[in-house]
Amino acid sequence: MILSIIAYLSIGLFVGISVFKAYQFAKMPFHGRMDLYPVPKEKGFEHGGSYYEETAWWTKPHEVSHMREIVEMLKEILFIKKLFENQRPFWWISYALHLGIYFLMAWTILLVVGGLFEVNGISVTANTSSILGLLVYYVTALTGYFGLALATVGSGLLFLRRAFDNTLKKYTTPQEYFNLLLIFAALVTGIFTWGNDLSFGYAREVTANLVTFTPFSANGLLTLHIFLVGIMLIYIPISKMSHYVGKYFTFHKVLWDNNPNLKGSGVEQEIKKASSFRPSTSWSAPHINPPAAPEK
Amino acid sequence: MLNQRDLRPKDMGRSDEQLIKLDNLIPLLAPYDKPGMESPLTDPKPAWKEKFCTSLDGYVGIDTLTRPKSKEEEDEFVRKFLSGLEKIFSDANNGVLQPLLLSFEYCAKCNTCSDACHIYSATGNNEMYRPIFRSEVLRKIVKKYFTTSGKLLGGFVGADIDVNWETIARLGELSYRCNLCRRCAQTCPLGLDNAILSKEIRKIFSQEMGIAPTPLHAKGTMLQIKTGSSTGLSKPAFLDTLEFLEEDTEEKFGIKLKFPVDKKGADILVLHNAGEFMAWPENPVAFAILFDAAGLNWTLSSEIMGYDSVNYGLWYDDYQAKKIALMQMKVAKEFGVKRMVVAECGHAHKASIITGDRMTSDRVPVESCLPLLWDMVRNKQLKLDPSKNNFPVTLHDPCNIVRQMGIVEPQRNILKAIAPQFREMTPHGVDNYCCGGGSGFAIMNYANFPEFRTQVASRVKFNQILGAFKGTMEDVATPKYICAPCSNCKGAMRGILEHYDASEKYNLQYGGLVELMVNALISMKKPFLEFLE
Repeated sequence: MILSIIAYLSIGLFVGISVFKAYQFAKMPFHGRMDLYPVPKEKGFEHGGSYYEETAWWTKPHEVSHMREIVEMLKEILFIKKLFENQRPFWWISYALHLGIYFLMAWTILLVVGGLFEVNGISVTANTSSILGLLVYYVTALTGYFGLALATVGSGLLFLRRAFDNTLKKYTTPQEYFNLLLIFAALVTGIFTWGNDLSFGYAREVTANLVTFTPFSANGLLTLHIFLVGIMLIYIPISKMSHYVGKYFTFHKVLWDNNPNLKGSGVEQEIKKASSFRPSTSWSAPHINPPAAPEK
Repeated sequence: MLNQRDLRPKDMGRSDEQLIKLDNLIPLLAPYDKPGMESPLTDPKPAWKEKFCTSLDGYVGIDTLTRPKSKEEEDEFVRKFLSGLEKIFSDANNGVLQPLLLSFEYCAKCNTCSDACHIYSATGNNEMYRPIFRSEVLRKIVKKYFTTSGKLLGGFVGADIDVNWETIARLGELSYRCNLCRRCAQTCPLGLDNAILSKEIRKIFSQEMGIAPTPLHAKGTMLQIKTGSSTGLSKPAFLDTLEFLEEDTEEKFGIKLKFPVDKKGADILVLHNAGEFMAWPENPVAFAILFDAAGLNWTLSSEIMGYDSVNYGLWYDDYQAKKIALMQMKVAKEFGVKRMVVAECGHAHKASIITGDRMTSDRVPVESCLPLLWDMVRNKQLKLDPSKNNFPVTLHDPCNIVRQMGIVEPQRNILKAIAPQFREMTPHGVDNYCCGGGSGFAIMNYANFPEFRTQVASRVKFNQILGAFKGTMEDVATPKYICAPCSNCKGAMRGILEHYDASEKYNLQYGGLVELMVNALISMKKPFLEFLE
């Protein structure tokens, strides 16, 4: 029962804190423009240009291609494109970790699905008569193998590279080693826990018990594994490993935000709102006039 | 002094007289690859060491940053910095809070940005200039003083730096070893921007501590706010200059030029960097010739803040930047023009079109001169003979106009139409390298800073230029033209060519785009470009 609570709580906190963080970034004050080109959404300026290449640009429609933006975003999310293009050796291990995580996310969902299938009488085995059961069985196995292998190798190699690369280790804090070790430890305990049954039948059974709050006997290793995964899920969103949240804002709200301030636009409204704001703090250099007192 | 390979961010607090010495610059390309073609880097003078902060790398970037005379002064310096540091995360800094926090919090330290930096590359990958080195020092100080984790866990979370006068002064200096070109941000897998952090450091020094390089502040924004121009050019002097240029143009080229000033009913208000009138007057003259030839209804303004497009606040002080941008906009609004056109000045482009875009809601539209010039060529409003420009030409992309605004094609289209031997640098467009003069470097000319700019910050650009003209450099009879449509970039080019004596030795020339366009005008009886005479 406690393990079920840990599982639900950690996933809930992972999602909750991540959403809260995104909300905090989303409600931050309106900021100045910091566009950086190429901006993929610029339709008609695929060479890296913008609507500023036109004369009297404010009289012409600002055409935006959300499709190109989404494609660019997916390349970054699915393949970590910028790292691939600019630092290939590092990409191999970083991508192993990230791809492994994607597989493990799919694996976890499939374990839940498979577990619920079993609970409801649909067999998830290699020789089941249910096509759906068979599909879940094989896809679970593949995502599990790849996920555990890639993520473990990726996190382990990232740790080793940081520890032994003369440049990286100058910039790596003990906390950052801890971050990688925590992921690595959660994965290694997972491999030892689930590795005895490569059909992942045991994993499905445990998952079904966790999801349905069914008491079951857990050995020390399984308890440690669930505990570590729980800690990891709660820790990731409060640490800088939550860059999956930040990355949306850095691209969409900073580097790719080139919406101009035109009459009647939303940007104009934001500017009007921001200009009436009186900060509670002010700068102290002699050339700066203190702003008026904050409004009560 | 440390071997740069051993340098760590926390070493910024060490008591060494100078942390590192530059001794491994990348080689220059031919013909500058022979021994003796370049003077060695120099050591700072003892008097500078006593007065300024030369303890970073031996160079003086901030001439108003002087050593404290007492322990009290030192303590006050540290206190003020920390006070400013706290403020960059407060509502006093709302206009940049979200981008700042993102870049501050999420760096994964993958070092992908390093190779994108021209200064890091030029110095043979010197650790001091790695883009995240500076950012990491800032993070360590913030963690130490302003985070619970730093206070409780110290070194475990990276709060392991000694903070004293030397640490902070070095960090201030280091913020002026970055051109704010943002090339590193293009490569970051997380979209983070180290230039934001460099600029925030500069802002703390200026906005809280009242410390900024004299050419940027006292003789820059302060002078501009007082007199209307950072050159100190007053209205009568401006009008005299125009009159002189009209006479000079008639004398040289037989063209009766009349600069329209404060012309009622004009559609376009043209804003030049006033430095052009002093250093490169042929540039505003060329604009006038082209605009008249194309039949545009344009004017210059003689109002205070109306005849100088610069806004140095962009580089170090948001308060000054806003003040100047709003004053410039006020002139345009009172004038009643339909639009403002920014002439060949990169940072003025960014200040008035991008940064200024979100400073006030009621704006006169602003556009770049480059699309307008391309329209004139494309629509055949100008009668041009490209054979007049039949010499090698390459194009420098000003970071502010290209990478930070997305104006990439118009200037290339023009060159393709008027310069038969146009060739690109590698890389170019949005991937270009900074000229080395960006973010104020071009006008910071005291102590030994020009040496850093010319031999270090501009080094990669000089190699790009040499690469673009490969095979023609030794042909002294043929001029090679670097087209740099930006005043600051031209300042950097001037520094490079003078330092390496490249015009004298190899007939390497530089200038703007409009000069080349006027040179191609069929109506011109003699070459507009002086070096062709």
